[in-house]
Amino acid sequence: MIITTALIHRTPYQRFTRATSAVMACICVAFAAMILAILAMVVVYLFTRGFNAVSLDFFTKLPTGDQTNPGGMLNGLVGTGVLIALASAFGIPFGVLAGIYLSEYPDDRWFTGPVRFICDVLAGVPSIVVGILGYELLVVPLGGYSGWAGAGALAFIMIPIVARTTEEMLRLVPRAYREGSLALGATKAQTIFRVVLPSATGSVITGILLALARIAGETAPLLFTAGYSRLLTTNPNEPFPSLTIQIYQASQNASPAQQNLAWAGMLVLVTCFLILSAAIRFVASRSIRTPS
Amino acid sequence: MTSLDTNKASMPPSQSNQVLLRPIDMTERAPQARRYEVIEAIRANREHTPSIHQIVDPKDSVLSIRGFSLWYSKSQALHKVSLEIARGRVTALIGPSGCGKSTLLRSVNRLNDLIDGVRVDGSMNVSGQSVYGPGVDVIDLRKRVGMVFQKPNPFPTSIFENVVYRLRIDGVRSRSTLRDACESALRSAALWDEVKDRLDQSAMGLSGGQQQRLCIARAIVADPALLLLDEPCSALDPIATLRIEELIREISRRYTVLIVTHNMQQAARVSDATAFMYLGRLVEYGPTRAIFQVPKLPETEDYVSGRFG
Amino acid sequence: MSPSESNPIPMTSKGSGEATAQSVGAIQPQPHQRNPSSKQRRKGPLSDQILDFAARASGVGIVLLLVALLVVLTNAAWPSIKANGFGFLTGTTWRVNELERPQRDSAGKIVYDANDEMVMIIEPAVYGAAPVIYGTVISSTIALVLAVPLSLGAALFLVRIAPRWRVAAPVAFFIEFLAAIPSLAYGVWGIFVLVPFMGKVVGPAAKASLGEIPLFDWLFFRTLNVGGQNTRYEITINGWNMLTGATVLAIMILPIITAISRDVLRAVPRQQIEATLALGATWWQSSWMMLRYARAGLFGAIILGLARAAGETMAVTMVIGNKNQIVASFFEPAQTMASLLATEFAEAKPDQRSSLLHVALVLLIISLGINILARWLVVGSASKGSAGH
Repeated sequence: MIITTALIHRTPYQRFTRATSAVMACICVAFAAMILAILAMVVVYLFTRGFNAVSLDFFTKLPTGDQTNPGGMLNGLVGTGVLIALASAFGIPFGVLAGIYLSEYPDDRWFTGPVRFICDVLAGVPSIVVGILGYELLVVPLGGYSGWAGAGALAFIMIPIVARTTEEMLRLVPRAYREGSLALGATKAQTIFRVVLPSATGSVITGILLALARIAGETAPLLFTAGYSRLLTTNPNEPFPSLTIQIYQASQNASPAQQNLAWAGMLVLVTCFLILSAAIRFVASRSIRTPS
Repeated sequence: MTSLDTNKASMPPSQSNQVLLRPIDMTERAPQARRYEVIEAIRANREHTPSIHQIVDPKDSVLSIRGFSLWYSKSQALHKVSLEIARGRVTALIGPSGCGKSTLLRSVNRLNDLIDGVRVDGSMNVSGQSVYGPGVDVIDLRKRVGMVFQKPNPFPTSIFENVVYRLRIDGVRSRSTLRDACESALRSAALWDEVKDRLDQSAMGLSGGQQQRLCIARAIVADPALLLLDEPCSALDPIATLRIEELIREISRRYTVLIVTHNMQQAARVSDATAFMYLGRLVEYGPTRAIFQVPKLPETEDYVSGRFG
Repeated sequence: MSPSESNPIPMTSKGSGEATAQSVGAIQPQPHQRNPSSKQRRKGPLSDQILDFAARASGVGIVLLLVALLVVLTNAAWPSIKANGFGFLTGTTWRVNELERPQRDSAGKIVYDANDEMVMIIEPAVYGAAPVIYGTVISSTIALVLAVPLSLGAALFLVRIAPRWRVAAPVAFFIEFLAAIPSLAYGVWGIFVLVPFMGKVVGPAAKASLGEIPLFDWLFFRTLNVGGQNTRYEITINGWNMLTGATVLAIMILPIITAISRDVLRAVPRQQIEATLALGATWWQSSWMMLRYARAGLFGAIILGLARAAGETMAVTMVIGNKNQIVASFFEPAQTMASLLATEFAEAKPDQRSSLLHVALVLLIISLGINILARWLVVGSASKGSAGH
């Protein structure tokens, strides 16, 4: 925008519209700055409070529930890891297969259309409703909270995301690859697993990692499925600890020591999150530039 | 007045197309014997003198371009172009792709300012007022110069709102003034009869040719000093193109038009004066009839007869 | 995410050892003919059969996920649906416990029995979802009111003011990055930073500046009917209230609305903007035309933000005060559908549980409806390339 000097012969309306325009432009800049400031403020605050609170104990001790000596969140870290692994064991194959189905079976259009729509619909289900579904399906019949139920709820969230991103990435693979493979006499299965999928590996993995990052940060689905545990355990048959639930519990406690623990947990969670997201994006940008 | 007057009026339309291009006599001159001195100078980046058939009287000049150069970051797109556009005429800019005709056109209303890294030198004046001088009000400038783009781009509002937009942003609110201006502009654009019953319907529902005429009406509603047309027919079918060309001849009675076209026959049909550009420089400029029938430079003759470019 | 337009070729199974018409050469069936082999397709090699089965099974599985969700929830909520019907949505009382109160006659006086003792009535638990629906609606609305102007302004900044590579790209990247932070983080920040801020700074400041004005009376005072008498008392603003919840929601939906609005505005054809500028419009006048052009997509972005706000659980639960009530002032604690579920579900009694599931069902339907509407708007505007008329 060129800043102009005053011209004598301008009507009041023109002066008004120019003033308005300048003011609105300034407001837009201010709003953008405000958004940045607010978000930065949250992140910075999390980091500073967290840094003061985190200690080696956090990574090595178990929570004691004690007001003055709250311990650590070792079981939460391990627990979240196990939950993600269990959820992935079921969710990744299911999701990738669904993605393959949506992308490589255009003859089934009458069915893949609705399936795709349902995937998008499922992605919009509030996570607490997923937790309640998990409760009704996996906790009530089995008689109690368990790691299986928690993993199941997380898988439910994960599957539509993985399916849609896999489909999108597979669609980007050029036709020519498929034609070339079939022309050489390969079966459809061979074409998909030896040619199509490998050429989209980077981006499919990126999609999976993003889904994993998402479920690692979820709290609501675990409230009524995995429950809460103070023990260090990898046995999914009983109530199962997780980092997010631990942080939530600690934050509800009135004692400053417990709240400190919540902050430490928050720092670890957000840091892992940011590192993971940055790594994912880095891998994504590299894999797009060099298609294998 | 100048001899530009007699250019189109003297010739019945049906004959003008046939007469303007001379038959090519191949026996007279072998192609390699024709020296493109000006083109060679341009390619070698030497100084050259464009061939200008007659100087436009300063009293008649609406757009005065003097030594105008433009750079897109590092590459130079226009080299010291000097051109005078006379009032009440249609002037065409022709030349092969990349010759800078669209760049020159967009420089007049400073739309090139929107591109990062654009640098200019030299001067331009519209109706005596500077375009690139210090302290120039760009918004005012654009209000005095109208533009029609290559692809019709009506706003997603009603036909009426499209036409009167220019008046609304000036604060004109009186319903009767707006309606009168709308009717007058649509009549001038030869669109009134087709849309007078549906002024409140969306402009997007019009055909391509109608949309372009709407854009023309939108551009002339406030009587601009100069109307810039950037290849206005290239996105239209032949019938719509013919109608727009007729329209241009009509409105040239009231407005000064500067039109960029890659279609030489169109330039021949529609314009009073033609400027031939090459690689960002002016090569020849004169009355259309002269450019197409008795050009001074062999380059021009060969370009308009399709032998090069 | 919208489905991309490109379709890979339909691959048909190759007969083992037999080159049939439907293998490799036939790439796309003619549009008006069906693939001639589809009716007589031979079974392909075992690996293909397995893959076909597995792929189709996963598709069916996806459908089953949704079916399971709807069926299980409806089934578990059925006792409440049967008992309350549609009145559930309008019932304004949510009382988990029985209430014992003295019986009153038609004149309002207490009834005494033969032994001169009060006759007590036990009122059963009553479940009405109106307070939490109200809470969800109001908190989401306030969140939108706070977030949308900021987001649209920032989107305009990113598209029309900021230099593309040096400012707009990093800023947009930063904002999108933050969109992925878990909501728990906002909740924790909310508890320790926003709640005290609201209680100690915003509340008193508002009360000091607006408390005397009768127009804002409803914000700071409430009239309750206690024991037959109307008493007016002042609301204590301690930070655990609807406004805090809405503010946290607003902060959470800023990134998503900004990112989508920016994409939508970038899709507006350059020629539209050039057309306005060529007519001599000011920056704001041409930006306004840009917003008009993109209005369908922008509306979709806003609705997507609304969907996120309505379904958000943790952050809201931690700061909203968790009180099931419908009151006018947003300086009072409240409860949303999601926060109700988070707080009460774990230790609910059977009839309470079925009512909670009823609430979950309502929340699900509302969320799905909003999401579908949003996707239809955003995808529609992107594929058409132009706004509605």
